[in-house]
Amino acid sequence: MHDRELKSESDEDSKKSAETPINEELYFRRVSALEMGGKEAVERQHSNGRLTVRERFKELTDSESFREVGTLGGSGEYDENNKLVKVTPAPYVAGMARINGRTVAIGGEDFTVRGGTTFGAARRKGGQGGFIEDLAHYYKIPLVNLIDGAGGTVTSAKRRGYVAFPGVHGFERSVQLLGEVPVVSAVLGTAAGGPAGRAILSHFSVMVRGTSQIFAAGPPVVKRSLGRDIDKEELGGAATAVDKAGTIHNAADTEEEALDQIRRFLSYMPQNVWELPPVIPCDDPVDRCETALRDIVPEKRTQPYSMHDLIELVVDKDSSFEIQPTNGKSVITTLARLDGRVVGIVANNPKFYSGAMDASSAHKQIRFMELCDTFHIPLVFLVDVPGFMVGLKAEQEATLREGMRAVYVAGQLTVPTLTLVIRKCYGMAGMATCNKNDIDLKLSWPSGEWGSLPVEGGVAAAFRRDIANSDDPKAREKELEAELRAYASPFRTAEAFAVEEIIDPSETRPILCEYIALAESRLRANLGPKRKAGVSP
Amino acid sequence: MTITNVTSEVIGSVWKVEMNVGDAVKAGDTIMILESMKMEIPVEAPVDGKLAEFMVQPEDSIDEDQVLCTIES
Repeated sequence: MHDRELKSESDEDSKKSAETPINEELYFRRVSALEMGGKEAVERQHSNGRLTVRERFKELTDSESFREVGTLGGSGEYDENNKLVKVTPAPYVAGMARINGRTVAIGGEDFTVRGGTTFGAARRKGGQGGFIEDLAHYYKIPLVNLIDGAGGTVTSAKRRGYVAFPGVHGFERSVQLLGEVPVVSAVLGTAAGGPAGRAILSHFSVMVRGTSQIFAAGPPVVKRSLGRDIDKEELGGAATAVDKAGTIHNAADTEEEALDQIRRFLSYMPQNVWELPPVIPCDDPVDRCETALRDIVPEKRTQPYSMHDLIELVVDKDSSFEIQPTNGKSVITTLARLDGRVVGIVANNPKFYSGAMDASSAHKQIRFMELCDTFHIPLVFLVDVPGFMVGLKAEQEATLREGMRAVYVAGQLTVPTLTLVIRKCYGMAGMATCNKNDIDLKLSWPSGEWGSLPVEGGVAAAFRRDIANSDDPKAREKELEAELRAYASPFRTAEAFAVEEIIDPSETRPILCEYIALAESRLRANLGPKRKAGVSP
Repeated sequence: MTITNVTSEVIGSVWKVEMNVGDAVKAGDTIMILESMKMEIPVEAPVDGKLAEFMVQPEDSIDEDQVLCTIES
């Protein structure tokens, strides 16, 4: 808008208004707002490899769509005659704008003004409990947070005369929004305190490798509390916050890419939970049968294959967007489209822990299932899971508890779920790939195999005495395995209608497209916020 | 010259080593195969270069993030 404002004021028609503005004070105040923290501060922001908040808005939103609210917020300085001398703009810029033609509420700290630290009247503009969150809430539009600030400072106490109790201007609205409208955050600087909290209270968050960090507390606090020296990149850069911890969903190499990821994420989302996600025209043929899918699973059961390739062969061309690609890697969570309709894909990754569910992949799957359930996005499970991850480390990380939480959340889903077994589907981790409380529709490829636990290992435990008493224990174990494996044929389960259909892998796309189209009436009948469930394990 | 550590993403054991010290590798080449969760997990070279040193041999138990070998480039 600023460009447009300045442009429109320098247009032929209104050329004079730039020189002799209709209201000199309004013009002066607007210009002050656009100057942010001043030339030097803007240059410093650029030399740190970062855009200014206004440049970010321009990059992210549809051309000329930004309508600012609170342009004049800030602190004025007046001379002895009460004449305005200078205005320092509030370090938070906000308003509404369009992204891919759809309206969003958008706000972000202006780091060039006091490092983005807001207080007093400016504090009412943005941040948790601020105007911009109210705008998203009352108008039921997505909220975009461009985060570049470290929240409160101890100097506030001096200014105020007392210390505020935590929760004044708290996260109530941020929490409420998570059940109402899509909330997305980009961490574009060093985030701690309230801004960091808001980044987490988002459906999707992204940060930039190298130029952004996020933590509960930064290096000076770590030094004071623990006596350890650590630099902010190691403490809260993307390698820690995204890859290792999963604190933030995705990483980007540049700010532009981070903003691009926000646009991409929002393209799958409805405006709010009372609407369905947008369906777009699809030029990828629905009846595209991929014979390559017939050979994608190696004959040798111990060999992995690329589940990522498999997903790409099935979904609409160029429609996939992976959430958390570098954390909890034994499961893949991807937003995609089938015949233009949005689906959430949960696929086990045989290249990592054989696809076994560990604590971090359980967290990731739970968050993704809850996201899809909240925004009425049907789920497709592409299953190749041997069970929960085993071993001391896995037990120390509470894999069993986290994995059962995934089973619990899957069992509470209200969106249609479709389970397609690619290879293994074993044990309780297998239960987290379907919704037994629902119609529980399960398809399988002929390579599918399932059970309480895989035959190998299971035989050694169940027939311990039989094997030990044999003349040739090794041979006896093999013999028992072969005997049980005969029952493991997926066709026997299909005979018993305990798996609803076995399909030719090449037919996967047309069949999935049909089931997802089928889901529409059901999704429409269940719009609105989700009921809160009981105590998750 | 830079030395790149090739680490294991998973816990498991070394099943077989497919290359030798001094061999030229291209990013994506399989250097060794691990066994983890009853699955053969290939370890791929992260960069182009020459295999400088092996820290493990077949049947060794390995932990997540353990350095398996180094590449000189």
